[in-house]
Amino acid sequence: MNLKKMLFIDRRIIYLLVAAGALYPIIRPIGLPVIPTKPVAALYDAVEKMGPENAVIVSFDYGPSSEPELNPMAGAILRHLFLRKIKVVVLALFPLGGNEEAKSELNKVVDEYDLQYGVDYVNLGYKEGGQAVMKRMAISIADVFPVDVDGRPTADMPIMAQAKNYSDISLLISLATGIIGEWWANLVNPQFGVPVSVGCTAVSAPKYYAYLRAGQMMSLLGGLKGASEYEKLLKDGYASVRQTYEKPEEKKASATTGMDVQSIVHVIIIAFIVFGNVIFFATRKEGSK
Amino acid sequence: MKRTVPLVLTFIIGMYPIFAFFVPHRIASDLNDRLDTWLIIVAAFALPLGAVNVFMINLSKISQRRKGWPYSIVILAGLVVMGSIGIAGAYRQDSIGQFQYLFQNIVSPLQSTMFSLLSFYVASAAYRAFRARNLDAGILLVSAIVVMMGRIPFGDMLSHGSMTPLSEWLMTIPNTAAQRGIIIGAALGAASMSIRIILGIERTYLGSGKD
Repeated sequence: MNLKKMLFIDRRIIYLLVAAGALYPIIRPIGLPVIPTKPVAALYDAVEKMGPENAVIVSFDYGPSSEPELNPMAGAILRHLFLRKIKVVVLALFPLGGNEEAKSELNKVVDEYDLQYGVDYVNLGYKEGGQAVMKRMAISIADVFPVDVDGRPTADMPIMAQAKNYSDISLLISLATGIIGEWWANLVNPQFGVPVSVGCTAVSAPKYYAYLRAGQMMSLLGGLKGASEYEKLLKDGYASVRQTYEKPEEKKASATTGMDVQSIVHVIIIAFIVFGNVIFFATRKEGSK
Repeated sequence: MKRTVPLVLTFIIGMYPIFAFFVPHRIASDLNDRLDTWLIIVAAFALPLGAVNVFMINLSKISQRRKGWPYSIVILAGLVVMGSIGIAGAYRQDSIGQFQYLFQNIVSPLQSTMFSLLSFYVASAAYRAFRARNLDAGILLVSAIVVMMGRIPFGDMLSHGSMTPLSEWLMTIPNTAAQRGIIIGAALGAASMSIRIILGIERTYLGSGKD
């Protein structure tokens, strides 16, 4: 067989193998073990040390294109915060769907716990302005978000008394795609001293390591792997969460199931790269003879 | 006059936050805070401005039957439908559900599909183009494989748990060094561009580079 021909294999064969590799673990989950890394464990440990006296901001800075990686992360983090009875202030700075992601993730999780809107959590909705919004929140969060996502005044909500400005915020978690997560790390943390944690897509994780190493971020959850590590920590720590993730609809949407898909697809891509290089070197050798 | 006024305004508005940063007086910081509030309002006005821009560009494309004009009809239809239902939702709380329905059943699957297709293209492109043609490409290739294996539990199973720490080391040390260079370079570029705009050297934002 001519080796050179192998270099120009029909791309539909590659697509078919990738599709089969992605579908197989969805139909028949493998359940490969996940080992939590330090940047992920740092967030889990920080949340574990908090309680009802603490307020945390969760900023939804992503849209539908990042849903597969960031929705499981959002679900796991919100569950952990609510389990610890921490006051949760949700907002969105990403224009293309941040608000919708926040709403749907909150809707999924809040019913699992005995929570009171405006007391235990609030959804402030989307605000245009990015860095300007972040800066103004240092003075007053309620001034920047005078009404919540449904148009209710925020000033009278008990939770806002516990989250007046950054000095009341124990932790800021940005679930980010694009540059907004970077703004939290390079503007809000250095200027106002709020501990920042970013959960991002795997493709944007490399840039955040610089902020993590500089101490501008206290933790980093990178892509589906970061989400699955957080799920693992949460399931190990809380039996109730373990039961939640056993439900078929939750199991299917979990990062742990997603990791099976990612595992197989990564192995297929690596196999193609290695195979392509083997043929490349073999044909080069043939050519030099 | 048409150019001088915006240039003077840009200079004053651009210089003031720098001045306020170094003058920690209440009056200076109060005005600076007010500027931040104005910035949020101006940014909000940029949204309808963007919508008008999309309308004008696509309407002219449709009227002149330029290449790909049917897609412009789809863009405008999407903008009108989503925009009007979203705005109506701001007045009538009941239509928020309609917007959410459209978002979850049209926008979300469309974007997810676009993003999911990447895995197929990446696999195909990696097979065709990722070659260890020289030492640099070889190092890149080995690093990529280590990082890819480090991002999956299967990698740890094969390497008895050593792939994740190795991948983390690559991300934490060599990657961070490169990222710092990029971040610092971009920040210096942004700062120099800001100075050029404040001083009126860079004027393309006024509509054209010519006086």
